[in-house]
Amino acid sequence: MALNFQDMIAALQAYWAERDCVVMEPYHTEVGAGTFTPDTFLRCLGPDPWRTVYVQPCLRPSDGRYGENPYRFQQYYQLQVILKPSPEDILDEYFGSLEVVGIDTRRHDVRLVEDDWEGPTLGAWGLGWEVWVDGMEVTQFTYFQQLGGMDVEVVSGEITYGLERLAMFLQGKRTAFDLEWAPGITWGDVYRENERQWSVYNFEEAPVDILMRRFEEHEAECAHLLARRLPLPAHDQVLKASHAFNLLDARGAISVTERASYIGRVRDLARRVAEEYLEAAV
Amino acid sequence: MKLLFEIGAEELPARAVYEAEAQLPGLAERHLGRAPSEVYVGPRRLAILVDGLEEQTGDEWIKGPPVNLREQAAAGFAKRHDVAVDDLEERDGFLGIVAQPRSLSELLPEQLDEILRGLRFGKTMRWDDSGLRFPRPVRWTCARLDDAAVGGHGTTTWGHRFTHGEVDVPSAEAYVEVLRDADVEPVAAVRERLIRDGLDGLGEWRDPLGKLREVIHLVEKPSVVDGRFDERFLALPERVIETAMQSHQRYFPLGGDRFAIVANGGEPDVVRAGNEQVLEGRLDDATFTFERDLQAGIEELARRLGSIVYFAGAGTFADKTERLRKLVDRLGGGDASLEAARLAKADQASELVREFPELEGSIGAEYARLAGFPEAVCAAIAEQYLPDSAGGPLPATEPGRVLAAADKLDTLTVSFSLGHKPTGSRDPFGLRRAAIGLCRLATEGSLTIPRELMPEDVGEFVEERFEGLLDVPVEFVRAARAATVRDLGSVARLAQALAALPDERLEPIHTAYIRASRLGEQEEAAPKLDPKLLTEPAEQEVERALEEVEPELTAALETADFDAAVAAGARLGPALHRLFDEVLVMDEDPKVRANRLRLLLDVRETLRALGDLGQIPR
Repeated sequence: MALNFQDMIAALQAYWAERDCVVMEPYHTEVGAGTFTPDTFLRCLGPDPWRTVYVQPCLRPSDGRYGENPYRFQQYYQLQVILKPSPEDILDEYFGSLEVVGIDTRRHDVRLVEDDWEGPTLGAWGLGWEVWVDGMEVTQFTYFQQLGGMDVEVVSGEITYGLERLAMFLQGKRTAFDLEWAPGITWGDVYRENERQWSVYNFEEAPVDILMRRFEEHEAECAHLLARRLPLPAHDQVLKASHAFNLLDARGAISVTERASYIGRVRDLARRVAEEYLEAAV
Repeated sequence: MKLLFEIGAEELPARAVYEAEAQLPGLAERHLGRAPSEVYVGPRRLAILVDGLEEQTGDEWIKGPPVNLREQAAAGFAKRHDVAVDDLEERDGFLGIVAQPRSLSELLPEQLDEILRGLRFGKTMRWDDSGLRFPRPVRWTCARLDDAAVGGHGTTTWGHRFTHGEVDVPSAEAYVEVLRDADVEPVAAVRERLIRDGLDGLGEWRDPLGKLREVIHLVEKPSVVDGRFDERFLALPERVIETAMQSHQRYFPLGGDRFAIVANGGEPDVVRAGNEQVLEGRLDDATFTFERDLQAGIEELARRLGSIVYFAGAGTFADKTERLRKLVDRLGGGDASLEAARLAKADQASELVREFPELEGSIGAEYARLAGFPEAVCAAIAEQYLPDSAGGPLPATEPGRVLAAADKLDTLTVSFSLGHKPTGSRDPFGLRRAAIGLCRLATEGSLTIPRELMPEDVGEFVEERFEGLLDVPVEFVRAARAATVRDLGSVARLAQALAALPDERLEPIHTAYIRASRLGEQEEAAPKLDPKLLTEPAEQEVERALEEVEPELTAALETADFDAAVAAGARLGPALHRLFDEVLVMDEDPKVRANRLRLLLDVRETLRALGDLGQIPR
């Protein structure tokens, strides 16, 4: 019997906890991917070792489909694992985690398919793979090379499980809505209405003028906090500015040219936060 | 002796595998003095087998300073090589030493290291503090010299990632067998054959997006499994289904509701079931997207183009559409091409193209078809990006050719105006391909493409492509480019007509052209020919010939009959020949001289309509 959603998450967390990962709870500010949270973006800067595992809800306003599409949601879950420095047997450790959720790697076709990751708003890139199990992409695996526009001092391995995808594979479900979350409760029971309402908000109701103003305010506040040498609160302003941008994008309020300039502004903030974080750590 | 050297890595991108495959023979030759007898490449290993290595290097003469510089340089040379000055020997006037033979096993560790570090890749990373950069982490090296170990390298390899672990390689000779026993097929050509045989066994398979080359290096133990998807998805256009199969999943369409998976292991039934579900998921998603696009309709999609930037600095797709319509009009396109231009970029606003960019054009055509537009319009939309490779097919329809030319003209003009001219091998916007496409539309496609539609730098860049495309010496292309002909295809046909002219007929007009140019530069010619000053019969003959030839040449060019035009020009030959034989152009009388120069310059001006004959070397 396949693990339900919550048991699958618990099994993965326990697996990584046994391997000296700090089990963190989700970060409180809206992010588009686990990479944005300070537990990844900032902790992977500098020389200090760090191992962590945490679930992170990810918000991607333009991916919402009012709860009508089986694969696309404006909110979904990632399980983020950071191993810094990346150990030599990192892949074997990762494949071990598939076994604990019930994937027999000899019975299935497990494949590492090239994936060059780039996070333009974070000034970040890395090389790695999508991990496929029988054609289903269940994980993104990245060796960070740059963060905040700087070469990393120590290379971290980032393992990002797409939890809904992984659960769909395990449970043999064609849509996330049908996933068993807990006995008698499906993912759809928990989130379908959420998807509908938030899609309305993201696409129709999010206030463009206010969001534009907010973007500027977050940008200014970030600069102010950096001047006061407070990179951690400053980083939250980067996240908030980035989310405001994502909402504006979903509202269709940003032309493609403006897009590049917004991304550049967020990247600039992220770079300054990263520099200040390293400075403050010394 | 036989050497095995294997670099074991985490799964390499196929591109990197091909890069390594191309470099390993040269690196082996450079560092080991011998090309490998075998090169094995795949996702987790890059290996070479080198036969016939000598156990020891021979005596090596290391040449030092000349004997006559003994005083100044001998001590330094001796010190560098750690010998006493008295031990230096003399050969052919030079000092030097005979290096002791060194054993291969002593040299190999460093040589192999140099091979590893000598590989160059387009994209590399680091993963630890070793300083080594590689496309993905290197996790082991394995070397055997016959059955001996090599210092600094292991003697084990790793089998299939999930069915075998670390395995011993007892000798260089045993390498392939050891791997095959560990579920790895190291020979890429064998993997390819296994895949092809497997696919052939399933029936007619296709690879429209060319994924096989990559798939060979995605697997170490290929097995081909077939799958099916629900027939309801057959309602989607075939291109959409095939793209959903290939672009991300690398499946091979088998026609209808069947597809093939190339797996790297696993139980066939399990692998089949999983992949079927994944593909159905993708098709579900594509259906959802397709239906949303259809709901919007192509007209609505076209209306959205104003908010999509085509190219930073070059406006939106609505602006591009407007430019396309004007270009189509100037290319003489009819109603179908104009309508196609209006809708050509509508699919850029579709969700399906955002998902699968390779569907651009074909899906726009599909949406136009479903909206009831005439087939000529739909076909032109589908064909607008053709030819999409140097030798690829041209659009089959006239409106398609017109639209394809307009699209390329606009792309080139916009890119050049923004400073994106290709440099060296860098051509991120595919401008060379666009220029070649334009040339081929003009020649093979017989499309009249006025040269005035291209700004000067674009025109030069496009016409330069003829130098590689036409089967004539480049000088004839350069000559023809300077002609006054008005359209692109004429440049090519004129170059061919010039090149087809036999030498003995080309020679006199070529000489006249060159001499007129040379003399005309030195001396002041008369502003206008004075027939009364033409006293010699030979020069009078040239004048008569010129009067006859000029209108013929002009008329031939008007009707784009380049063979006739070149033939007409060549008819000046005999008279010119006689002129050079019998008449001294540089007469003592300045008036006669100036008049003769004018005659020559008139000849040149007439011939100039055929291009800059001075480009042709004699």
